[in-house]
Amino acid sequence: STSTKMSANGVAAHCCETPGCNAEAKLQCPTCIKLNIQGSFFCSQNCFKGYWESHKLRHKKPRSPWFSEQLDQYLQYFPGYAYFKRAVTQFKNISGISDSSTPYNPWPYYAFSGSLRPYPQTTKKEVPPSIGRPDYADDPNGFPHSEQKVRGAANIKCLSDEEKEGMRVACKLAREVLDEGVKVADIGVATDEIDRVVHEAAIERECYPSPLNYHGFPKSCCTSVNEVICHGIPDMRPLQNGDICNIDVTVYHRNFHGDLNETLFIGEVSSIAKNLVKTTWECLQKSIEIVKPGVKYREVGSLIQKHAHSQGFSVVRSYCGHGIHQLFHTAPSVPHYAKNKAVGVMKPGHTFTIEPMISEGTWKDEQWPDNWTAVTADGKLSAQFEETLLVTDTGVEVLTQRRDRNGQPYFMD
Amino acid sequence: MGDEDDIPMLVGEDDEDETIPELVKVEDKPRVPLTILTGYLGAGKTTLLNYILKEQHNKKIAVILNEFGEGSSMEKSLSIGHEGDLFEEWLELRNGCLCCSVKDKGVKAIENLMRKRGKFDYILLETTGLADPGPIASIFWMDRQLGSDLYLDGIITVLDAKYAEKNLNEKKPEGVVNEAVKQVALADLLIINKTDLVDETQLKAVTDLVSTINGSAHMVYTQRCRIDLNKLLDLHAYDKFDNDLFERSLSTRFFDGASHLDQRVQTVTVEVEGSMSPSSMDYFIDVLLWDRSLTNSAGEPVNIYRMKGIVSMIAESQRFMLQVVQQLYELEPIGYWEIDSPRTCKFVLIGENLEQEKIDDLLRTCVTLSSEFS
Repeated sequence: STSTKMSANGVAAHCCETPGCNAEAKLQCPTCIKLNIQGSFFCSQNCFKGYWESHKLRHKKPRSPWFSEQLDQYLQYFPGYAYFKRAVTQFKNISGISDSSTPYNPWPYYAFSGSLRPYPQTTKKEVPPSIGRPDYADDPNGFPHSEQKVRGAANIKCLSDEEKEGMRVACKLAREVLDEGVKVADIGVATDEIDRVVHEAAIERECYPSPLNYHGFPKSCCTSVNEVICHGIPDMRPLQNGDICNIDVTVYHRNFHGDLNETLFIGEVSSIAKNLVKTTWECLQKSIEIVKPGVKYREVGSLIQKHAHSQGFSVVRSYCGHGIHQLFHTAPSVPHYAKNKAVGVMKPGHTFTIEPMISEGTWKDEQWPDNWTAVTADGKLSAQFEETLLVTDTGVEVLTQRRDRNGQPYFMD
Repeated sequence: MGDEDDIPMLVGEDDEDETIPELVKVEDKPRVPLTILTGYLGAGKTTLLNYILKEQHNKKIAVILNEFGEGSSMEKSLSIGHEGDLFEEWLELRNGCLCCSVKDKGVKAIENLMRKRGKFDYILLETTGLADPGPIASIFWMDRQLGSDLYLDGIITVLDAKYAEKNLNEKKPEGVVNEAVKQVALADLLIINKTDLVDETQLKAVTDLVSTINGSAHMVYTQRCRIDLNKLLDLHAYDKFDNDLFERSLSTRFFDGASHLDQRVQTVTVEVEGSMSPSSMDYFIDVLLWDRSLTNSAGEPVNIYRMKGIVSMIAESQRFMLQVVQQLYELEPIGYWEIDSPRTCKFVLIGENLEQEKIDDLLRTCVTLSSEFS
């Protein structure tokens, strides 16, 4: 049982990763530490030896320029090298020699963790007043007062039949809107263009694009490219061959919100990107499978973490799934990592999202100075998938389910 | 570095056959304890803080006033005492998406500051006078997986010996919590201050009242908040459960004063021989904390503020410590049962509408029916 594997007093204890062994693990593989691979905890050298043939596969390096990679690996051992690298990035930013081809440089002193840079944004869009709007749409700071009222209360709402219907419709429309956005995502297309399409697709369906003005968010959807974990703001950067791009759509239709996202391949992506995206999608699928009345919300994280770690990836911990209905974000909170204190047990009528963010390297995240864009602390890739779920009497209904192509994710098309 | 020109991979390049490395010990990152200091206005919190800052010479202590409320304030001041000096720093509270963020922005602000300026030895968070420390404790009692640099050490409540009784007995309208009672209920350390202003009878009355509400907290009497600093720090209230605590709570059960005190909030201690299974523990938690289906004889629902316990789990050689604050709970292994020692489950509960027999019965259900659940 997972509850017995919790951390011991004062020290973050881990579980031995050798399949079948669940002893407490206080030792770690030094090669994994060097390669910044997450996890790799073992109870003893012997146990580790037994599992070595499989474990060493994690150390396989991804394809990349051989020479600069070797040099980089070598220089890791020089004290201060990490700071040197960051300083070089900062210098590049200040002096304008950055990896982006535009001179746009909103934060000259910020040391980016990866190679993605912000591009200029277009002006804020409007939604026709005839479409029903959530309370924050017209608040000067985008503050969701209705959410604030129930904040802290851990009672999870059980929806009435009428409310469930409302959610079904909103979620179906959210999927349709995402479909439209996905259709235009391609090499050379700016994320701003995706946002424009999403915005219009929402309006066409009598929906308010929920992210717009939510806590002041400037756009109608989130587009998260490569090392961006979530909450990427659509801008004029054209998508490039090899990018992975997540489009996160939420719509508000007749008083209900529907929320979903998928990560797409843009052109030809690396094999590690393929594996990361596939693993992330599998994490979501596996966690949806356990949703039914009586399951504790805190169990979702155990399952996701186990699968992500089995592929050598890590789970982003700073953001979680959430309850959703007339409110965009509300109870329950659904962390995606193991050993969490999430409150509550699934009951028929609960509606919530599961939205695992899985990263290639470290689980740690940072935030750009725009106070929105979340990126991996090491600049490596991160992928995400999300669905809105309804707990039924016997299991789960995936409200944002894709209706065509057998429900497969877009990256498999 | 970061070049996009691909130097083609050499043909025939292969991963060398890696030799098995020696495993290394997982590094423990030392974390900074954060203590919540609460109490009514005038009880002596500020005096206490000034005393701590002045007396603690070798430690770097940060003091924050809790106005981490909602709102768009971008900065918050923090005072730091170090080697006799006091200076001010600024916490940057970054707004933006608070929606699905697991860590509170106050926590992130403190962590960012420590990253820039180095770690503190202790952080003291002083709440406003009428604060309910429960939600604040939830913010700082973070999952260890979040790898925060902070951990919640405990809650200290300062009481004014002269006015405490009055404040604690104040009747509030239905559904409104009496903050003074909550502050006492959630305390790990109770400082009864201004003892010079009351006589012995009054002091005993306050002590009795406070012990009834919270039988497990340490109690210290002070004048002008002069206190041995070792008593304040390293409470480890959320990661330890010592036997003293249990004995202390047990002793308040038998004391006489309780009968005529009209307090909805009380401490109840229970101990039952036997073990629990994961599903009976789930049931226990669900009934008490989440479903709140347990009531007292008058049909009023039990509302747990704080709970601690040591539990024996079936087929586990380790002892498990249960920590609860309102609806949050954590079950952690903590040492091993001694061979041949009897397996028991014991709990200290602090909350509203608790009745000894009802809790006893509930626990017995979870322990004796364990074979049925598994």
